[in-house]
Amino acid sequence: MSAFLTSSLMHNIFGGLAQGVVYSLVALSLVIVWQSTHVLNFAQGAMAMFATYIGMTEIDRGIGYWWCVIISVAVGMIVGGLTERVLIRPLYGKPEINPIVVMVGFLGVLEALSAAIWTSSTRNIAEPFSQIFYHANGNLVYLSPFIIFQIILAICIMLLVAALFRFTRLGLQLRASALAPEVSRLLGIRVSRMLTIGWMLSAGVGAIAAVIQASGSFGLFPTNMDGIFVAGFIAAAVGGLESPIGAVAGGLLIGLAEQFILAYWSPNVAPLGGIIILVVALMIRPQGLFTKHAGRRV
Amino acid sequence: MDWWRSFFRQESTHSRLIGVTALAALTLAITFVLPPVANSELAGGAAIAIVILGLSWLIGWSGQISLGNSGFMAVGAYAAGIWAHHHNTTPLVFTLALAIVAGGLSGLIIAIPSTRLRGPYLAGLTLAFAAAVTPIAQNFTSVTGGEGGIFLNSLVTPSWFGHLFSGANAVINANAQWTADLAVVVAAVSFFFMANLFHSRTGRAMRLVRDNDVAAELMGVDLLRTRSSAFMIAAAYAGLGGALYSLLEASVRPETFPLTLSITLLTLMVLGGIGTLSGAVIGGIIYSFSADLVAHVNSLTGVNPTSNLGANMQGIIFGVLLILTMMFAPRGLVSLRTPIQKLFRILRPRRQTPDLGELH
Amino acid sequence: MIRVQNLSVNYGAVKALRDVSFEAPTGQITAVLGANGAGKTTLLRTISGLVTPKTGSIHLDERPLVGVATENIARMGVAHVPEGRGVIEELTVEENLRLGAMAAKVDLAEGLREQYERFAALGERRKKLCSTLSGGERQMLAMARALIAKPRVLLLDEPSLGLAPQVTAQLMRSIHDLCESEHLTVVLVEQNAKSALRIAHRAVVLHLGTAVASGDATSVAADDNLRRYYLGVVVE
Repeated sequence: MSAFLTSSLMHNIFGGLAQGVVYSLVALSLVIVWQSTHVLNFAQGAMAMFATYIGMTEIDRGIGYWWCVIISVAVGMIVGGLTERVLIRPLYGKPEINPIVVMVGFLGVLEALSAAIWTSSTRNIAEPFSQIFYHANGNLVYLSPFIIFQIILAICIMLLVAALFRFTRLGLQLRASALAPEVSRLLGIRVSRMLTIGWMLSAGVGAIAAVIQASGSFGLFPTNMDGIFVAGFIAAAVGGLESPIGAVAGGLLIGLAEQFILAYWSPNVAPLGGIIILVVALMIRPQGLFTKHAGRRV
Repeated sequence: MDWWRSFFRQESTHSRLIGVTALAALTLAITFVLPPVANSELAGGAAIAIVILGLSWLIGWSGQISLGNSGFMAVGAYAAGIWAHHHNTTPLVFTLALAIVAGGLSGLIIAIPSTRLRGPYLAGLTLAFAAAVTPIAQNFTSVTGGEGGIFLNSLVTPSWFGHLFSGANAVINANAQWTADLAVVVAAVSFFFMANLFHSRTGRAMRLVRDNDVAAELMGVDLLRTRSSAFMIAAAYAGLGGALYSLLEASVRPETFPLTLSITLLTLMVLGGIGTLSGAVIGGIIYSFSADLVAHVNSLTGVNPTSNLGANMQGIIFGVLLILTMMFAPRGLVSLRTPIQKLFRILRPRRQTPDLGELH
Repeated sequence: MIRVQNLSVNYGAVKALRDVSFEAPTGQITAVLGANGAGKTTLLRTISGLVTPKTGSIHLDERPLVGVATENIARMGVAHVPEGRGVIEELTVEENLRLGAMAAKVDLAEGLREQYERFAALGERRKKLCSTLSGGERQMLAMARALIAKPRVLLLDEPSLGLAPQVTAQLMRSIHDLCESEHLTVVLVEQNAKSALRIAHRAVVLHLGTAVASGDATSVAADDNLRRYYLGVVVE
């Protein structure tokens, strides 16, 4: 058993899953926004990074890690809600290129602003759990308390989101508003409020992903979510942008693919893994692997 | 007044040739009076204008969005750079042609899966491509020079041009102006081709595909071919611009093509006006003098340019400008002059010129 | 009671409604009749606040509706069953019903029980996705979803569309019974003038956005000219 755990195969699977859950969370957050407002939020990663900076600099004031996580998520949600109200709301009904361009601009502003406030050098965050790998019979297992924590936290968040959408009044209203906004309004549901809540939820999930990413060995810097966003987008797109389950599965798949390319070829080429998966997936099913219905929205 | 109007509408190849030549000649004349620093900036702006023009064509005319043009630039730059590094005496035209082909090919490769995609998928895939290009280039250190890049010295000022200059800084002045003039000429040729493309059968088919792909298909337009050719052309322009830019910089380095460059390109294109030649010119001019503009903003607001804020001022300004323009003047800064135009129209009514920059 | 006064609606240059006035009294069915493009759907959408009128007013009893947001009009007790029924296919029957009750101050369990009693077929399919329902079942669900909120006004847009004649007749009967038992104000938009006039108390005939006639359903039904020119009903 321990020989199996320390094998290079398991090493890569653990490493891939650890990165994959972060991708899954970003992908999930993109799907939530896409479902509610049909906007692909290119600033998702940057918004999460910004929120993490605000929350995590509180550590300097002697506030505990967990409180900082909560602050990050809260700030993320506020930024998400404001973004929908101020930047996205005026663009409903405009060509789909307009919100894309605006969010790309917002991405630029957030990254430049963060570099201006906190400098562009990497900031290491005192992680709540040890990053030292376990050993089995003197051999390294690619698992640390932190990696276990990040996988469990991500799974908890995914289950929470699923439960919220599936079993709560709010979740039902969110789903109805996304599926049929006009009918929902006719039933008295405050759809515009639901859209804002959708953005807040999404940004909250994104902030969790950024917190995990920043607490890990890569640390926090203004562009630290760029690559994560790209991988998260690919994960969401592989699933068809509509499917939360597809997004999560896509994230894990890309995490694993990158880890294997990284291990057997070169770390620089790892981003290629996601692109190849996306291209193959889209060639097979242009509407995404996990969407039931074809057809497009005009 | 008819010749005047037809000239500005650029309805015939002749008028387009005259228009582009006149603009280029004017710019070349200006380079004689500009200080060397400004000439270097102008050269960079001309290279960037070529890239913007390709992007403008892609977004404004074919309705496809790309966030990966910094990646296509890198492909062109590396192709030209690697070749020029080993064959230093190759004529510039050939090196640039190589960049065009390399850029176009990379565009085609991206286009094959992309043209079946719409809006956000396309934007995301091209972004992923741009994010992957430079790490991959760094991976092949023996060819691409890795992190440090490749050193280039193919832009040599010819001696006849150098003889035009005298005085203390003759060499510096001559070099700066030579690069500026060269970039302007390359840009003028690219602009002339694009102007003709706008008015060609392909251009019209492209707009039809953008506005109503179902109708276009019914009329016998091959959607996949039209869309992927639009991508290929945009990528070829990016490749050419990227190569020219790197030749001017005298090096090809990964850090020249960060993801933020794609944002900058998009901003400049949107500021100038989507889908127009003038938009690309304006975008290029803004790029040329963006460093000065930012320095100006810093001094106006009293921000220390070496502080964190000062160093990131450009990113903040560009991002804010991109958001504001898209929200309040989606047809570019040019559209802001409409109140003045309206006044003129009241004073002297005449037929309205067709809009090319309108997004659908 | 719904009172519409001098209502005009424009879609850009197109005048969809011109100076339309009528009253839909409480406890009665008011049929809005006319051909395709007469402005019937626009009229209902304007009452619900989905379309903003150019001029004119709409009152629910004494409260003005123009300028009030759609969701608030719904919360005031106006239930609009839109054209095509507006059943959310990706949700289950029960989820659709829960949505209907969500904004209203009603007891959900009680409401569900009541609607399943009224429409037994829905009770059997409560956990099924709505995409599996037949046209008649969808119409039942749309009605149940509207009624669960205990509305005062029911706006029905072409409920008979795509239904078999027997199903239509049954549906019209239940609309009539509902109106009486719940004392509802019903505005019934129908292209199928014949079956609508059979149950309606009052009728408004729209033609190219103008109300060409309004009054008692019986007198509208008796007017040969109206029947021939606007309602497409063959005069024997």
